[in-house]
Order: sequence, then C-alpha cells, then structure tokens
Amino acid sequence: MAIDTDKIVHAVMHGSRIREEKGIIPLFGVYLSMISVQYYNKISFGFEKATGNDGFAEKLLVEAGQECGYATFQGVRSSWEWEEVVKPMIEDREDQIHCFVSIAIAFGWGDLTVQELVPGKKLVLRATDLYEAKGYLDVYGKADSGKCYMVRGVTGALMDLVYGDDYPEGCFQYTAVETSCVVKGDPYCEFIAQRAAS
Amino acid sequence: MTIDWPDKFAREGHELFLSGLPIALHCHHYNMNLQKTLETSLGSEGVLLLYKAAEESSYAGFTSFLEHHPKIVTAKSKLELASTSYQYCGLGIVNLTKVGPEGGIVTSPHSHHVTGWLAKFGKRQNVGCFFTGGWVAGVLAAIYNKHIGYFSVNELECKMTLARKCIFEVKIA
Ligand SMILES: [Zn+2]
Ligand SMILES: [Zn+2]
Repeated sequence: MAIDTDKIVHAVMHGSRIREEKGIIPLFGVYLSMISVQYYNKISFGFEKATGNDGFAEKLLVEAGQECGYATFQGVRSSWEWEEVVKPMIEDREDQIHCFVSIAIAFGWGDLTVQELVPGKKLVLRATDLYEAKGYLDVYGKADSGKCYMVRGVTGALMDLVYGDDYPEGCFQYTAVETSCVVKGDPYCEFIAQRAAS
Repeated sequence: MTIDWPDKFAREGHELFLSGLPIALHCHHYNMNLQKTLETSLGSEGVLLLYKAAEESSYAGFTSFLEHHPKIVTAKSKLELASTSYQYCGLGIVNLTKVGPEGGIVTSPHSHHVTGWLAKFGKRQNVGCFFTGGWVAGVLAAIYNKHIGYFSVNELECKMTLARKCIFEVKIA
C-alpha cells in the first residue's frame, strides 16, 4: 500500500483543530503549538548572529532539531493516531520514513520529498520552500552555507529512529549535511543523512 | 465580535497560515529545547532573544490581524481576541482582563510552555515563560498602537517553579 500523504495531512489538520480546556493541543503523542515562522527564524538566526557565525549556534540548532525530531517522531509513532491512521499504510521499515516526511509536511515545515533512501545507509531529502531558507533570505539575503538547521537535524533523526538502536539509545547515530540550499542560490535545499563516524 | 479561528487556519499547498500569517506546527520537544539551548549558551542574552522574538512576532502578527479586521475597534474586544488567539494556537490560557494602556497584571493558569517544560525537563528554580512575556508585550503594543518595546513584561511567579499560576507584571518601559 502506498503512503497517502493527503490522508496524513488531513489527520493533522483535523486533529490540530481540537483544543482541550487548557488551550493545549495534544496530538500524535506530543503537545503542538502554532507559532509564526518569523519567531523561529528570529531565534535561530538571532542566536547565530549573537555568537558570531562561527558554527557554534549552527551545531546546537542542528542538534536541537535532531534531538527533537527523534523525540517528536517517537511520540508520533507511539500514538493512537499513528496506530489508527498511519500504521495500516506501512508495509516495511522504509515506509516509516515516508510517513514521517508526510507528517513534517503536515506540520508546515516545507515541501519535503524523499529523493533517495538506501536502507540503513543513506537518506536524501529535498525541498524548494523551507521556512528557514525563506526567512533567512528575507532578512539577511544570500549566504555561502546552508541555513536550514531544523530540517537538517530532523533528516538525521528519521534515520536514527528507523535504523538506529532502539529508542532512546539511537539518537545521533546518523548525521546529516545540507549539500544544497536555496540561500546559497541553489534551486532546492538537499539534506543527506548517513551513519555518523564513531 | 467573535472570530471563527478554525476558519482562519488554512493550508495552501505545503504552507500553513493563521489569518494570513505563515505559521508552523512544532511540538514541545522543539520549543523547550530551543529555549534551553539559548538559555544555556547565552544566559540572560538568550532569555532576551526569546522574549524579543516573541514580542516582535506577536506584534507583527496581531497588527496584521487587526488590519484585516477593521471592525474590531475597542481595546476590550482586541484583548479578548488576543487571548482567544493564544488559546487557539495551543499556547494556553492567558487572562488579559486586568491590563490596560498603563500596564497591569496578566495571569496564565495553563500554557504550552509550562506543560512542555515540566514534561521534558521538570521543575525549574526560576521563572521561565519568556515566550509568553514577550508575546504579551507584543500584542499589547499592537492593541494600544505603541511601538515594540513600549511595554515591559516581567514574570513574578511561574508554574514552571510549581507556583499555582504564572503571573506577569506589565509596565510602561
Ligand atoms: Zn536550505
Ligand atoms: Zn511561567
């Protein structure tokens, strides 16, 4: 059975309209928030500027994305919504990656596609319209290195979850690089996750 | 006037908008981790960055929202809408009935950040709702037609330290 992204997007759109009385959105095993992308970009790139663009903030922001992607999608795949909506579509391990990507699209992270998946070895994701790249370009203009730290971390996390050691031991067993980025003038952003050198 | 928030939440292709403003869904793991990363590496400068980012984005978001809804004119209805938008965004409950153009007190009995922080990291020793503080400062500036930074919001008590609720003091900066 093919992965039906529309069905997953629909489930997220529907579920994220439900509030409990405390104004919290519990969905897919996590608490969701709707916050303007401007906020995230101000934090990430403000942090990077404040620390002098020396790679320190980049490393921490990618790690934050990866650790969170790892915890988030573990919550997602342990939820009843996953069991009900997503699991029936899954036939093999690789399908999990496609489902996680569909959820990331549903969350409004960008037009992500799986370009290549070599089981256990390599995952290549691509997108042309990510809010980090767009936000960076709007405020700072072009850069000579990739700026999509959150999605880069998440790319590693997807491999950690599917091919790494059992949760919670597998985080950071894979590592991702952003080989092309729209902020550099490339036509798309591309992320490649592979086993981290131990 | 009431706003049908679900009606304002729209998807265009892969992008999400709330009342025309691009938004993203994130969960408490990411939000709390960003906060912790900034606090740990930058200290008070990181706290200020979180507060300022929330202030600027809530100011921009609410200003644009009010421009799209010119029939909402009284401060009271604008304050009510601000607190329903906070709730709609999954950010929690914020009580804006005891605050005005001169400042006042804002309370929050529940929030995404409190629930998320306690779930992920447990009890804090100091107040920690920098997002909410900045968010309040930004919407109040938008509502009372002031500039960013006009109000300063200081959290007096915080549920992250296991206080009963979060209490913020709003002053003219
Ligand atoms: Zn990029
Ligand atoms: Zn608090």
